[in-house]
Amino acid sequence: MKIAYYPGCSQEGSALDYGKSTGAVCAAFGFHLEEIPNWTCCGSTPAHALDTELSAALCARNLDLATREKADVVVTPCPSCLNNLRLASHRMENPSFRANVNALLDEPAAEKFPEATSIMQLLGRHLDTETIKARVKKTLNGIKLAAYYGCLMSRPANVMDFGDPENPTLMESLLAACGAEMVDFPLKTACCGAASGIPERKLTAYNSGRILELATTLGVDAIAVACPLCQMNLDLRQKQAAKAEDAFFDMPILYFTQLMGLAMDINPEYLGLEQLCVSPEMLLRKLGMGKGGAA
Amino acid sequence: MPVLKDKELRIVGFLCNWCSYGGADTAGVARATQPTDLRIIRVPCTGRVDPLFVLKALFGGADGVLVSGCHPRDCHYSVGNYYARRRLEVIKRFLPILGIDDRRFEYTWVSASEGQRWQEVVTDFTARIHKLGQAPRLADASPMLKIAELALSSLHALGSNLSAPLDELKAAIKAKLPDLECVIGWQKGYDGAHAVPLFMKTPEDVDKLIWGPLNVMNPAVYLPDFKGRKIGIVVKGCDSRSVVELLQEKLINREDVTIFSLPCEGTLDMGRVNEKLGRYTKIDKVNFDEASVYITADGKEHRFCITEYAQGKCYGCVTPGAVLADVVFGKPVPVSPGKFTPPELAMLDSMSLEERMGFWKAQMDRCIRCYACRNACPMCVCRDYCISDSRNPHWLDQEATPENKLFFQTIHAVHLAGRCTGCGECQRACPVGIPILALRQHIARTVSELFDEYKSGMNQNAVPPLLTYATEEKNIHERDL
Amino acid sequence: MRIGVFICHCGSNIGGTVDCAKVAETASHYPDVAYVDDPMYTCAEPGQAAIEEAIKKERLDGVVVASCTPRMHEPTFRKTVERAGLNPYMFEMANIREHVSWIGKDKEANTNKAAELVLMAVEKLRHNRPLVPKSFDITKKVLIIGGGVAGIQAALDCAEGGVPVILVEREATIGGKMAKLDKTFPTVDCSACILGPKMVDVAQHPLITLYAYSEVEDISGYVGNFNVKIRKKTPYVDWSKCTGCGACTEKCPSKNTPDSFNELMGKTTAITIAFPQAIPKKAVINAPYCRKLQSGKCGVCAKICPTGAINYTMEDEIISEDVGSIIAATGYDLVDWSVYEEYGGGKYPDVITALAYERLLNASGPTGGHIKRPSDGKEPKNIVFIQCVGSRDRSIGRPYCSAFCCMYTAKQAVLTKDHLPDSQSHIFYMDIRAAGKLYDEFTRRAMEEYGTNYIRGRVSAVYPDGNGQYVVMGADTLLGEPIEIKADLVVLSVGIEASAGAPALAEKLRISYDSYGFFMESHVKLKPVETNTAGVFLAGCCQGPKDIPASVAQGSAAAAKVLDLFSHEKLQSNPQIANVDILRCVDCKKCIMCCPFGAIEEVSVRGVNKAQVIETVCQGCGICVATCPQGAIQLSHSTDNQILAEVNALCQS
Repeated sequence: MKIAYYPGCSQEGSALDYGKSTGAVCAAFGFHLEEIPNWTCCGSTPAHALDTELSAALCARNLDLATREKADVVVTPCPSCLNNLRLASHRMENPSFRANVNALLDEPAAEKFPEATSIMQLLGRHLDTETIKARVKKTLNGIKLAAYYGCLMSRPANVMDFGDPENPTLMESLLAACGAEMVDFPLKTACCGAASGIPERKLTAYNSGRILELATTLGVDAIAVACPLCQMNLDLRQKQAAKAEDAFFDMPILYFTQLMGLAMDINPEYLGLEQLCVSPEMLLRKLGMGKGGAA
Repeated sequence: MPVLKDKELRIVGFLCNWCSYGGADTAGVARATQPTDLRIIRVPCTGRVDPLFVLKALFGGADGVLVSGCHPRDCHYSVGNYYARRRLEVIKRFLPILGIDDRRFEYTWVSASEGQRWQEVVTDFTARIHKLGQAPRLADASPMLKIAELALSSLHALGSNLSAPLDELKAAIKAKLPDLECVIGWQKGYDGAHAVPLFMKTPEDVDKLIWGPLNVMNPAVYLPDFKGRKIGIVVKGCDSRSVVELLQEKLINREDVTIFSLPCEGTLDMGRVNEKLGRYTKIDKVNFDEASVYITADGKEHRFCITEYAQGKCYGCVTPGAVLADVVFGKPVPVSPGKFTPPELAMLDSMSLEERMGFWKAQMDRCIRCYACRNACPMCVCRDYCISDSRNPHWLDQEATPENKLFFQTIHAVHLAGRCTGCGECQRACPVGIPILALRQHIARTVSELFDEYKSGMNQNAVPPLLTYATEEKNIHERDL
Repeated sequence: MRIGVFICHCGSNIGGTVDCAKVAETASHYPDVAYVDDPMYTCAEPGQAAIEEAIKKERLDGVVVASCTPRMHEPTFRKTVERAGLNPYMFEMANIREHVSWIGKDKEANTNKAAELVLMAVEKLRHNRPLVPKSFDITKKVLIIGGGVAGIQAALDCAEGGVPVILVEREATIGGKMAKLDKTFPTVDCSACILGPKMVDVAQHPLITLYAYSEVEDISGYVGNFNVKIRKKTPYVDWSKCTGCGACTEKCPSKNTPDSFNELMGKTTAITIAFPQAIPKKAVINAPYCRKLQSGKCGVCAKICPTGAINYTMEDEIISEDVGSIIAATGYDLVDWSVYEEYGGGKYPDVITALAYERLLNASGPTGGHIKRPSDGKEPKNIVFIQCVGSRDRSIGRPYCSAFCCMYTAKQAVLTKDHLPDSQSHIFYMDIRAAGKLYDEFTRRAMEEYGTNYIRGRVSAVYPDGNGQYVVMGADTLLGEPIEIKADLVVLSVGIEASAGAPALAEKLRISYDSYGFFMESHVKLKPVETNTAGVFLAGCCQGPKDIPASVAQGSAAAAKVLDLFSHEKLQSNPQIANVDILRCVDCKKCIMCCPFGAIEEVSVRGVNKAQVIETVCQGCGICVATCPQGAIQLSHSTDNQILAEVNALCQS
């Protein structure tokens, strides 16, 4: 299987650690990710709400590049990229839409694109519990985690293919295979405040605070996430959220790939743990990894 | 009555009493203005609408026909419209093969409360018919005769089947004979080049049994007459499908019939054979080799290679062995899977609607209305009570017009929808060689497209698709009207 | 034949846009037409008298009236011609009002169209034959399926009217959903107090035979003469010996049996009596939970039973009953609400259905009428009610309103305040549907006197906050704001659907049902109790969501229909049915396969099998006619020849 890798912009910046840990975990399972050469933005700017054809043209270009590389599948860690790539593929099935998009491109895009899927789906679909267990060197036994998908990962349900949009369970099965205890986290698909962090700081602080508060009440050691923006809101803005809720939080927010990487005993440096704002020190101690690369 | 000249076209509606007729009333009560062309015939249920009524109207000069009933699930009789949906969809798809534009016929669902919808349906359908204009008449069509090109390839090897273990079969028949009233098969006919039916009652009769490319006729046609009596039958693969279909329709009982079979490598198209033999006074001898039949007539030897002279149906045959048999000998003939459009059907497919109407006009001018096609058909079980020569019901009068003749063919084809196994006996029996099988082949193809590749006569437990229904049809979709 | 044609002006309704005199003149040249007239109002008394007179004077043997739709006045004119001595089926109508004068303004086209419609009617009439209904005996006994309040009402009304009743109930006791309720709206009177006496009446009425814990297995026959097979499911208790003392239920060691009567709000024993007022008050063993039946070891109930009624080897029994009419009153079930993952899909113990809440309110319920949370047994303070869970929701295929949730939620809010004066109820609603006598006043009281907090909007999620409460996230659409409420208990007004197995029963009854499983009435407005199968009537929620007063009313209405039916000494069959020309029939059974009513049977005629129509079962749809290839089966009054005559009148090129 030839896997084209579409990192998306945040993997180059705020979510370097997501990108790093994704690469490390995939490599450990023998998935060879080939970055799409010369990829561009997925169109996940406010522009996609204004002009679906323009934003689809960006995705079509990226997907077309992957098609030329003869990829069987395009994977991306970011739910927003995934959403755009899949929606664009879906919309391109409409002949008149396709014609309009093709007019925007230098040359018409391929008739059929490889399926775009998330890193989580790639791992979840190709690895069964036993395969993961066999690869686990430092079990996450004794660690209690909440899986938080964010609002975007499972919606729209018919496009994203994550099962019940209110209750996706893929991340739980991956992390449970690594030995972690997964709590039932009812807010797993609630909104973190998303991009409102800048224009509506209070709203984001309130939304993130609610998630952090529930996780704290449930006594988890960390929240596992799969979206760069969610990670940022819950981690970087944790103090703002605490202030809004009039509470104190000390909740490490890790990408699920980072947690899997820990279980596979991949050197924390390759997992980008030093990037986290809230220190995972306590978590690492519980795992018997003494001093991690906390910031 | 003639239509109002330049103002109206002839549009006939069949409306169910409970829903659509009421819907038309509701539209009237609401004073919902509509075009005046439509004439409504009130029926109890769309399930009552024999598809032949639609054809009768179209053959009689209607420019458009509309059937409307209760919405699926709302049928006053629970399921009448489900049956209607299947039958009417088949008939709609049948029209083009006759050269009739299928847009001239539509069926839809309007409830008694949907007066406004009824107004839209009438307005749109009338506009559609006016756009199509007056329907072309068969009588006015310019006749066109055309002959189908022969098939060049077949799905299994064709040959004269010399290796078939006929002696083993004969021994088996003799062994079973004491339990059976008779066994139907073939014997040498009035000359060596033709086979005729054989009814074996004694071991001596069994010795007369022959097997090979001359066994053209389908012995299953005799079976319904023996219903309730113990009987045996020797079949080719194609004949066995007729037997299975008769079993499906409970026209014969499985426990009464013993089926004997050998593998078949094809049979001769006697029409073309006779054509090549020309006029002769005597057949001197008939010889076979693996691939051909050699017929010497009046001292002159003719070679008939089976691959070249097989019946049209043999080229597309996928059942060289019996579908169902009690006693079988011989090695099965391997079949390579593939799509096959019979040559007659391929020819009609390639024509325009106008050409098809001209084609049938020319062919029906040649028809002598002898009903040999009907009498040879193993699925025509009405026999003496065919509706085409009855006064009650009086579907057809006896005047020898091309309309009447083609309507008879239509009755036959429609009655065979979902039942015809494509044995081709109708066409083989036609003394003037009209390719009438094409109509049955087209309807079988339609049924197969609509109902999950259904093929009649393959499974004795299957229900013929027009004798049942589904509440949700996979391949029949609502049309906008 | 001598046909009279009457072209009605209907005042100016027809005469305004159709030249009636010209139509009449044209019709006078049609074949067999001996008399024409164009009266002003044909249906009025003078108009009808003129028809009668013309029949006698002109020796007419058939009449065509061109006027309004036959769906309106066909029965009227059939009676008219009958009075003048003609067979009522020697009559045809041409609809020149609804189908001509009212829908077109072009007088020339209308007049021509009207003339053609008259021709079609004349041509059809020329093929009409006199039809005579047959009469047959009735078994004056009624089967009522379902012992909820609708079935109980129907049973009592029929029995009081002198008709013997067979009442079949699937559960071990009658009473249905109403027996589970605590109080009823809008009067807040005790459900058991008003239903209980009716249940006792059923048990005591000499004309009512009750088969509880039984189901209808098969139904054959037709109006007046149905045969019903009833499966009496084995209770493993000989009911003729059981006194309902309850000793067995006290000693049964299998105490962890889910209590379905209490909507799973509590546990019960494997051998139970549903509730103290059960009718019949008899014990039933719930086999999957019985230790004796599962492992062979126990037998405590058999030892304790003072009358020796327990019988572990008892089997189902099939009983046959002949009845003349059937009332279906099979009620409803709750929609499967586990699809609502946003409300926890059933995994949170304190998110419960309103019916379960009703059991918590009920003094004979698992908590003795004290409102306690299922999770920890504590009294809730904040209670959130969510309306329309599984109603009016197209996304789960339930677009209809369940009709009574608005009202019972108001009632539950009122009762909650009575039970727990310190509590606060919040109701998320879409619209308040309180149409009914004293209904709106009642919801007003819930709001104004009981301080219920009504919030117009939907709830997007319910989740446990980890501290024992539930966060209810919703929208207040009147304020246009998101809203969050911390609740101790969440009560869902789960929508209703036809009870499990309704479609299968409909198939047995040969009646129609809609895509939700509700049985179809004959006419939405004018025949809400009848079905399209003669002799089968509907009562209660099996026909659609309705509250108790409506169910009771429909139960009585169904009973009235039965009494009406049974008031006749004999029944007359509709002569517009199929019949078989046995000469043409080749016994291919295609008609038998297609008949939706099982109205065609195979009979032996001089040693040959032929199809035969059971006159009383045939409903006259004509599916068989379109199926029969040899035209051997014909529908009287819609024969092939009659329809062909109409087609040929139009299409004869």
